[in-house]
Order: sequence, then structure tokens, then C-alpha cells
Amino acid sequence: MKRLADFLVEGSLFTITSVSMLAVIFIVLFIAKDALPFFKIRGISEFFTSVRWYPSSDTPEFGALAIIFGSMIVTILSTLMAVPLAIFSAVSLSDILPFSVRQAVKPIIEIIAAIPSVAYGFFALVIFAPLLQQKGGHLLGIAVWLMGIPISLVLTYILGGTLADRIFKTSSTVHRTAVMIILEGIFIFGLYRIYAVFSNISISSGANAFNVSVILAIMALPTIVSMSEDALQAVGRELREGSYALGATRAETLWKVIIPAAKSGIVAAIILGVMRAIGETMVVWMASGNAAQIPDPWYNIFEPIRTLTATIAGDMGEADHVTGSARYHVLFAMAFFLLVFSFISNLVSEWFVVRSKKKWGT
Amino acid sequence: MKLQTRRVLDRSFSGMGYFSVFLLSASLIIVLVPIFVRGIGAYIFKGTVEFRRLNYEKFNRGNKETIEKEMAAVQKFRKPVYDMLAAFEKQIDNEEILNSHEYVRDLEEVKELVRELLGPAPGEPEAVMMRDRYGRTRWDKARKTLFHILYMEKWDHSNADEMGKKVMAPRVDQFKGTSFEKFFPYMEENLENMLRPRLTFYWRFLIDASFDAHLFGGIGAEVLGTIYLVLGTMIFAIPMGVVAAVYLAEFSKETGKIVSLMRVFISTLAGVPSIVFGLFGLAFFINTVKVSNSKSVLAGSLTLALLVLPTIIRAAEEAIRTVPRTYKEAALSLGASKMRTVLTVILPAALPGILTGIVISMGRAAGETAPIIFTAAVSVGRPLNLIETLTQPTPALPWNIYNLVTEHEAVEQIRHVQFGMVFTLVLLVLLLNLAAIILRARISKKLRG
Repeated sequence: MKRLADFLVEGSLFTITSVSMLAVIFIVLFIAKDALPFFKIRGISEFFTSVRWYPSSDTPEFGALAIIFGSMIVTILSTLMAVPLAIFSAVSLSDILPFSVRQAVKPIIEIIAAIPSVAYGFFALVIFAPLLQQKGGHLLGIAVWLMGIPISLVLTYILGGTLADRIFKTSSTVHRTAVMIILEGIFIFGLYRIYAVFSNISISSGANAFNVSVILAIMALPTIVSMSEDALQAVGRELREGSYALGATRAETLWKVIIPAAKSGIVAAIILGVMRAIGETMVVWMASGNAAQIPDPWYNIFEPIRTLTATIAGDMGEADHVTGSARYHVLFAMAFFLLVFSFISNLVSEWFVVRSKKKWGT
Repeated sequence: MKLQTRRVLDRSFSGMGYFSVFLLSASLIIVLVPIFVRGIGAYIFKGTVEFRRLNYEKFNRGNKETIEKEMAAVQKFRKPVYDMLAAFEKQIDNEEILNSHEYVRDLEEVKELVRELLGPAPGEPEAVMMRDRYGRTRWDKARKTLFHILYMEKWDHSNADEMGKKVMAPRVDQFKGTSFEKFFPYMEENLENMLRPRLTFYWRFLIDASFDAHLFGGIGAEVLGTIYLVLGTMIFAIPMGVVAAVYLAEFSKETGKIVSLMRVFISTLAGVPSIVFGLFGLAFFINTVKVSNSKSVLAGSLTLALLVLPTIIRAAEEAIRTVPRTYKEAALSLGASKMRTVLTVILPAALPGILTGIVISMGRAAGETAPIIFTAAVSVGRPLNLIETLTQPTPALPWNIYNLVTEHEAVEQIRHVQFGMVFTLVLLVLLLNLAAIILRARISKKLRG
């Protein structure tokens, strides 16, 4: 009797637990059920190869290539911005910053993650977009100097020393300083040229791919930072101490030992961060300009674009009345595309996590 | 490499680390500061006499006598304005001045702006639209309107190579040499007397209904809708999440195939894009199961519950796992059944951790927009009562922020409402997260003893 009761309790617990499993299966089923009719009606090739997106005209066209391109360009750009920043932040959180600062930064990361996406979208559209439109060139120029000066100083110092040694067999301080000043001069001239190019960019619309990518990068940061930090922590003291004992500096230890050791965890973090960017709706819907076009030239990131998520969100309101038409089903096809992508990246990321866990036995 | 070089490289590496963390924190501040500064402006601002009149007439707040007295006082200063307008109009009609027809259009513009600033002139029939019944309720808006009265936009095309530049030309130049000239300095000098700005703390912005497409009133309906959605979500998500966590942490075999499969599914669910949840909610809860005929708070809550489920499961499982084994063993050795141990020993001990997860998911449910677009949200609606939530859609903060920013007829006019909404939503989410941070700090204190 008691056995039976236990069995019943456990059975009901199991049933409730499997809700999330059922949810995933149902999501796939229901999205697929409404996505497949689209391909039956319109075929597969148009969706992936045409850039003509006119779902509501009399002879509708459903070429989603430009929209897929939009999703991709935004994702790639935001990844490029977020990854270096996030990894350096994770490294300094795990190894460089003193404990008290670390404790203060963690809530900041949590808050970045917690701010609703619509608030980010609002910021992007109402504050950032006008700023870009009016002062975009200046902002980019300032960014060039901010990034360029420190990098050029470090490069000057290292290259200058080596170069001086090459030129003058026995280089004195005077020689070295002279070489360095010349080098830094060259760098600053180069930076000035880059600055001139950037500050002359005039941005015709503040709602564009660049704007959205910056915001998406900020939104992806918390995921990447906290997961990478966990991965870096998991590497453990022994490797660090071993490396220090061999005389390596902290930077060398981190760069050549710890980061390679934590590689799989970091890759998993990046994949999840990228997924955040591709699945995000509100920011791109509000601030990407929503133009279903491939910019001309295609790498012009200051042009409005449109993404899959924004298309679903924006077009469903109208397509709702025509349930069953290709116009309705095409949105489900897009959702299915997103879903498949998220499943794949999730599984890959999971696989990397398992691999790194096996490696460090935690 | 030389030692010196290595040292510099080491330093610059650390420098990059510091810089990245600085940039990360700076980006949060850059996003939050304008939202907070301008958002507070929806609650605390200089309200004009028109604001107080509206408050009295719409909500019956304030003292009738004081408001009548105030209106009488401002009318004294407004009268010369209307007199000047009427006098000049008469001059035009009688063609007393040269080229009088030239002034007709300009004067009409000024009249329109004065109406916007001060509300309808005395003796005018009551307007249909609420926006035509009141002048500027906020002092900052009044100043802006005054600026448009004093200056007009013109485009400078003198340089043919460039695009036309916008220049602000004093409007008084238009009326040089006429009796109307003195109108403009009068407006500038007496604006304060005509509107009587006073610092107002309008906390009822949070609970007041909105009027005339959010041009007046507060965000009560949206706040209430958000609260309904969050509570509804939690009603479904908490039991499911906690039960699942208990099963995963206490009942399942750690290495079982089904359990590891379940974990994969839970993390997959966490990765599904939020817009896909929205479509699923539409296709499943509304079109297939038909929990309601069309969008409703119920359908939205169910959708959001699925969205936050993984968060709650993970947090709760983590919390249950950190309960010391000795607690459980002690309970079992006293003869308690497994179920009883879970209910009376493990869950109470894990409660703070579980609460942390719940509070964080409440913040998430409050802020998510994409899942409720097709399942629960409408742009315009009144506050619902509890029973209506089963069948009716509701306005909600995140959706209405989107809607007011992108689809409103007068986006610039209601900036303060938009900022107020974003501020309210962000503050709500931040407070929930703060609660979570405090809870967590208490737990770690407890664990350290």
C-alpha cells in the first residue's frame, strides 16, 4: 500500500516535471504545423533566394533573403562588439580585479541582464538613434581615438624597443626614444586618417543596423561574461600556480594557459550570447528601421535593415485576419527557422559545456 | 622577449581588463540615467493651473474655491492676450492697415498656438476632444509652445550646395509696425502669470487612467495589466517549477537517461526566442485549446509561465541542492517519509533560494513584450476586473511603451508619458532584482554561519 502511494506521488511529480519537455515538443509541433503549409503553397526556393518581400500585395512575394541577411548582419556585428569586451571583463572579474570590486560589478551585470528588452529598445530609438543621426560621425571619431591611443602606445613601446635594437646594434635610451617617437607619430597620423574617414560618415537614419548591434551587444554581455567567468574559475588554482612558478606573468598565464584551458566553456558562452542577439525582438523591431532590403553596399552598417523576429512581430498583427493564407504561414516558417537555429546552437553550446566539465571534472 | 616588455604587456593586459569592466558599467549607466532622469519628470514636474483644473474637473481633486480663484487670477492676465488678438483681427477685417490680407494666415497660426497654450478662450463652446479643452498642463511643454509662438521655423536655402538649414526667425518681425507687435513681449513676460506653474508631485500617475490617447492622465491601466500578467504567470509557473525542481533534486536518479534528457529539454526551452513563445501561445492556447476566444490575460499568463519555467526550475533545484545533507538525513532517521521530509524540512530550508528565482522571473515576466503581443496585449483598453482577466486582453506596460513610441499620433507630445512608463517598468524590475540580491546575500550569510 505504501509502495503504491510512493509510486503515485513519484509518478505525479514526474508528470509535472515533464511539462517543460512537453512544452518544447509542442512548440516544435505547433510551429512546424503552421510552417509547413507555407512551403507547400510557395515552395522552398523563393523563401531563401529572393529578396523581394511583398506579402500583402495582390501578387504576393515572400523572398526572405534580405530579412535573413538582416538577422545575420546584426548578429555578427553585435557578436564582434560583445565578445572581446565580454571576455576581457570575464578575465578581469575572475583574475584581475580585487575581491571587493568584483562583488560590486556582479550586481551590475545582473541588472544589465534584468532590464527589459523594450526598455533597451526605447533607449535605442528615442535616445541613441537621434544622437547617431546628429552626431554619429563625432561619436565614431571619439571611439577611434579612445580605442586607438592606448593600443598605439603599447605597440609603440614594444615595437620601438625591438626596432631600435635591430637598427642600432647597441641601442642607447636616446636611440630608443627617438625610434619610439617616430613610430608613435606614424601611428597617430594613421589614426588621424581613420578618424577623418569615420567622422565624415553622415548617418541618414539613426535607426539602423549599427544602432541595433550596439544595443544587442550590451544585452548579450551578461550571458557571455558570467558563463565565461564560471569557465575561467573552473580551471582551478593548480594550473595558475604552475604557470606562475614557471615565471610567467599574469597576462601570459591568462592568455596562454587559462583561456585556452577554459576554451570550451567560453565558446559555449559565446554561442548562448549570439543566440540572445538573434532571438531578440523588441530592440530590432523598434530601432532597426524595418526596411526589408540588403544595404548597398552590403557592408554598409548605417542603413536600416529588418530581421526575422521583427518581421514576425510586425506582420502578425495584419496576418492574423488571414489565418491559413501564405502570408500567415510564412511567419511561422520564419519562427521555425529561428527555432531550429536556437536548438542547434543550444545543443552545440551544451556539448561544449559537457566537454569542459569532463575536462575539469566538476 | 625582454623582461621590461613583458611587464608592459602584462600591465596593458590588466589595463584592458579594467577598461572592459569600466565600459560595461558605463554602458549600464548610459542606458539608465536618461531613463531615470526624464522618467521622474512624469511624476515630479511643474504643473500649471490647467493641470489643476483638469485634476479638479476629471478626478474631483482639489478645492473648488481655490481653483476658481486661481482661474480668475490668470484670466486677468489672459484677457489682454485675447483683446489684442481680437483688436488686430478687427483691424484686418476693416482693412485699416496696409496689405491686411497678408497677416491673416500668420495671425491664424498664432491664434492656434495660443489656444494650445492656454486652452479655449472664455466664452468658446466646449470642445469634443479633451485635448482642445485644456491648455498646457506641464510648464516645460508650455515653454515649448511659447517658443513656437515667439519664433517660427524657416528654411535657409542661401547656400545652394548644402541642404537647407533650419533657422528660427522671430515671429514679431512678421508683424512689424502694426499694433500687434506688442503682443509678443507681453506673452513672454506674462506667461508665468497666465499659467502659474507650481512644483507638483503627481504620484497618482501610477494609478490614474489615461485620457485622450495618453495626452492626459496616468498609466493606471497598464500598470494593473502588468500586475495581472505577472501574478497570473506566477500562479502557473511557481507550482510547476518548484515541483519539477523537487523531482529533479530529490526523487530522480542522477544518472538516469530520462532525467538527463529532461535537463536538455529544460535548457532548450530556456533558449527558445521569446517571439516564438508568442506565436506558440497564439497557435496553441488561443487557436487550438481555446482558453479564450481571442487574446486574454489568461492566455498571456500561460505563455509567459512557459517562458519563465526554466529559470524557476534551475533556481529552485540549485537551492534544494544546497540544503545540507544532514538536514535530510536527520529527518529521515526520525522516521519521516520522503514526502514529509521534502515538505517540512527541505523546502523551508531552500525557501530563500527558491524565492530568489521566483522574484527574478517576476521581473522577467513583467518586462517581456514579444510573448504577449499576440496573446494578451492591446493598445487601448480600460482597467480590467479580476473575472475579466479570463477572457479580456489588457494594456500592459511593455507593450504600451512600444505602442506609444512607434504608433502614437503625437509621439513628441507624450514623451513624458513614454519616459514615465519606461521608468516605472525599469524601476519595478530593478526593485524585484534588488530583492533577489538582498535575499541571496542573506542566504550566503546564513550558510557562512
